[in-house]
Amino acid sequence: MFQGQRGWFCGSVGGELRQFWVAEGGSISDPRAADFLFSCDASHPDTLRIYQSLDYIEDNATVFHAYYLSAVANAEVKNSVALGHFILPPACLQKEIRRKLGNFIWEQDQHFQIEKHDEV
Amino acid sequence: ATDSHSKMLKYRCSGCIAVGKSLNSRNFSKLLHSCPYQCDRHKVIVEAEDRYKSELRKSLICNKKILLTPRRRRQLSSES
Ligand SMILES: [Zn+2]
Repeated sequence: MFQGQRGWFCGSVGGELRQFWVAEGGSISDPRAADFLFSCDASHPDTLRIYQSLDYIEDNATVFHAYYLSAVANAEVKNSVALGHFILPPACLQKEIRRKLGNFIWEQDQHFQIEKHDEV
Repeated sequence: ATDSHSKMLKYRCSGCIAVGKSLNSRNFSKLLHSCPYQCDRHKVIVEAEDRYKSELRKSLICNKKILLTPRRRRQLSSES
């Protein structure tokens, strides 16, 4: 699914989501070279650095919540998950957005965990 | 009438219908900005992020001015 794609992961992203990315053919890269920027916490210093970067200001860097990857992992058709639903806006904007729109998609669903079939 | 209209628009939002490999962190924002049929959700997020970005841009310009002044002064004094 992610063959040839480079991903950057904020320190807030759990190991199993990174492993899934790599297992699906993605590689890990630094934020400047990455095709995808993943984070689980908009106020983590790693992610804050992205929000303050020129790339971000110039609309060249959208941060996505890494739960996109678990949604992909759990979807029956892997490329049917809309990446656009997983935009992670800066923490200072989230309150206002939540007031207008309700909870974010990654807050609505508690099932964003990669199922481990070998564990019972 | 407006209800079915907004429903139709909702399903044409590029941010919502676009799936697959072509999208990533580099082109997503531009795709949304160029979409004339943004859904409510994406419209609110884009507006909030745009406001944040323009404030950041302003503060960057201010910082640059502050940072440049003493350095220039030092350069001038070392030249003389
Ligand atoms: Zn949308």
